[in-house]
Amino acid sequence: MTNQKSLVIGWLYPELMNTYGDRGNVIVLQKRCQWRGITAEIKEIGIGISDKDFSLCDLFMMGGAQDTQQEVVAKDLTKKKKAFKEAIENGIPGLYICGGFQYLGQYYKTADGNKLPQLGILDMYTENPGRKRLIGNIAIDAQNLFGKKTVLVGFENHGGRTILGNGIKPLGKVLKGFGSNDSAKEEGAIYKNSIGTYFHGPILPKNPELADYLIKKALEIKYGKNFELEKLDNSEEEKARKVIAKRLNINI
Amino acid sequence: MNTLLILIGKFLSFLSGALNLGNGSTWPGHIALSINPDFVSDILEYSKTTVIFVTGTNGKTTTAKLIETILEKNGKTVFVNQSGANLLNGVASSLVIEADIFGKIRKDFAVFEIDENALTKISQKIKPDYLIALNLFRDQLDRYGEVNTISKNWAQIYEKLKDKTKFILNADDPRIAYLGMKPGMNVQYFGLNELSLKNEIPQNAADSTLCPKCSSKLELNPVYYSHLGNWSCPNCNLKRPLLDIEKTNNHPLEGVYNMYNVLAAILFAKDTGISEDNINKSLINFKPAFGRQEEIIAKDKKIKFFLAKNPTSFNESLRTINDAKAKYLLIILNDRIPDGRDVSWIWDIDFEILIDSKIKIFTSGDRAYDMALRLKYSELKSETFEDLDQAVKVSLNNVPEGETLFILPTYSAMLETRKILIGKKIL
Repeated sequence: MTNQKSLVIGWLYPELMNTYGDRGNVIVLQKRCQWRGITAEIKEIGIGISDKDFSLCDLFMMGGAQDTQQEVVAKDLTKKKKAFKEAIENGIPGLYICGGFQYLGQYYKTADGNKLPQLGILDMYTENPGRKRLIGNIAIDAQNLFGKKTVLVGFENHGGRTILGNGIKPLGKVLKGFGSNDSAKEEGAIYKNSIGTYFHGPILPKNPELADYLIKKALEIKYGKNFELEKLDNSEEEKARKVIAKRLNINI
Repeated sequence: MNTLLILIGKFLSFLSGALNLGNGSTWPGHIALSINPDFVSDILEYSKTTVIFVTGTNGKTTTAKLIETILEKNGKTVFVNQSGANLLNGVASSLVIEADIFGKIRKDFAVFEIDENALTKISQKIKPDYLIALNLFRDQLDRYGEVNTISKNWAQIYEKLKDKTKFILNADDPRIAYLGMKPGMNVQYFGLNELSLKNEIPQNAADSTLCPKCSSKLELNPVYYSHLGNWSCPNCNLKRPLLDIEKTNNHPLEGVYNMYNVLAAILFAKDTGISEDNINKSLINFKPAFGRQEEIIAKDKKIKFFLAKNPTSFNESLRTINDAKAKYLLIILNDRIPDGRDVSWIWDIDFEILIDSKIKIFTSGDRAYDMALRLKYSELKSETFEDLDQAVKVSLNNVPEGETLFILPTYSAMLETRKILIGKKIL
C-alpha cells in the first residue's frame, strides 16, 4: 500500500531520563499508532548520537531523571541544542516530562542556590526553593490545548517550581492538586506543538486524548494536511481515569 | 529509667495486642525514644549481642530469615525485628519486647532489617557489628526521593561505621560495591559468576548504569538482573571487586534475586565461624518469609505468593513464574502508603515476556484498572475485579485441582489477600 503512514518517535536519553515509568508514554504512542495501521518506529536518542538524528524524528518524548543523570544529559544536550531548537521551532510535537520539561527553560536554580543554565528554548525558568516537594494525584483542565474542557489526570511529584514567561501558555488549569508552582494554579506549558508537564512518568496511558493529539500533530506536520484519527476503544482507559477522578472528587 | 520504659512498653504492646488496636509494633518504641533518645544504644551497649543490619531495597526480609535460620539451627539464639518495623521506632519496639527488665538482651544475635532510607538515622544511634547491603533499586520515589540521594547518605555512614563494622556487600551492584572501596574498611563481597543465569533480555527498570566514581556509562557483562552484573567502567577502569563468595549448591528459593540473598547469608554465617557443611544442612527445608514465594494450599489448589513491590522485584517474579510455566496469575495493585502512592512504576515492568505464554491473568486492587491498562498495552488480556474477595474467589475457581495460582501483590495487597485466604473468609 502506498498510503501507509509512518512516524518516527524520538525517545530522548531513554537510559538516563527514565526515572519512573516514563517509557509508558512511548509504549502508548507506538501502540496507538500501530492499532490504527500507522507504522511507528522508536528511535532512541542517547549520549553521543549526531545532530542529524533530530531531523529524522516526527515526535519527541523525554522523561525525568535523577540529579546525576540530569547533569550528564545536560552536558550532552547542550552540544545538540541547535538541532533540537530547530525541531521545536519547526513545530515538531514533543512531550517533555519533569526534568525533560525543565531543560527547555532558561535556567534551573537548585535548592542550594546554584543557578544552572538550561537550553533556553522556552521562555521560562525553574527554581527549587528546597521546600516540600509537590506530590500527589492531580487533575487539570487542558482547555488551552484542546479548545474545550478536557480533563487530564495523573500524579505529580516535583521539587522545582516553574514560572512561565511571555508567549508560553500553561497546559491547563489545576482542578485538584498543586501544579507547576505554588501560586498560579496552572500546570505545564505549551509552546508551538511542544508540551511540558510535571505529570509523573506515564501521563499518556490515562489521557489517551493527549496521546492522540500528539500523533495527529505529528502526522499533520509530516504529511502537510489535516488528519482525522480513527477512533479506538478507550473503555479501559476511562475506567482507570474514573478511579482517580473519584478520589479527587471531580467529574470527568 | 530504661527499666521503666521497658515495663511501660511491654504493657502497651500487650494491651494493643490484646485489644487488637493495630500498629502495636511501633508505638512502644516511639514512646521509649521520645523519653530517652538513646534508648536503643543504651540497651545494645549493655547487652552482649552481636548486631546485624540487613539493608537494601529488595530481599531484606528473606535474607534476615535465612540468617535467623542458619544461626538458630546451629545452636545460637537470635532475635529479629518484626517484619515491616524497619524504621528506628520499630527497632526500639522490638528491643522493648525482647529486653528483660534490667534492659538486657539475652540473645547471641540481633538481626535488624533496616529500611534503606532509615539507615543513616539509625546508624547514628547504633553501630552494628555487621552491615549487609543487598541492592539499591527504585522504590516508592514519592516517599523516599532518589536512589542517588540514598547512596550519597550511605557513603557518610560507612565512614562513621568503619572502625567497628564488618561490611558484607553486593559486588554486582555498582553503587553498593563502590561504597566498600574506601580505605580501611573491613569488607567482604558476594556476587554471581554464573553465565547460565545471565539475563538475555535487557530490562527496562535499570537504575544505576552510570559509574559511581566518574559518571560514565558502565559496561555490564553479563547482566544478571536490572543493573546487577559484572560491571566495569570504560573511562576510569573502576570495576567489580573480587568476590569472596560466588556460588553455593544451596538453592532453597527460586529466582536469581534469591541467589544473592542466599550468598549474603552464607558469607555472613561463615564469618561467624559456622562451617559450610553446617550452613548447608541448616538450610534444608528452609521456609520462606510470609508473602515471599510462600505457598498456601486451598481446595487442593496450590497458591504461591510473590511479593512484588517495585519494577525490579516484579520483573524478577515474572521471570521466575514464567520459567515455572505458570498458567494462572492474579496481580493485585494497591497504592496505599506502604505500596507507594504513585503507580507509575508498573510501566517499567516487562510484561512483554508473557506474550508467548498461555497464561490467564486476573487483576484486582485499588488500582486494578491501571494494571489492566498496562496489560492492554502489552497486548495481554486480563479479567479485572474491583473487589478483592471476588478476584480471589473467581481466579481460584478457574484453577483446576493440582494446578497453581500465582499471586503477585503489592505489600498491602499481600497482607489483605493472605487474610482472605488464611482467614478462610471465602473458602
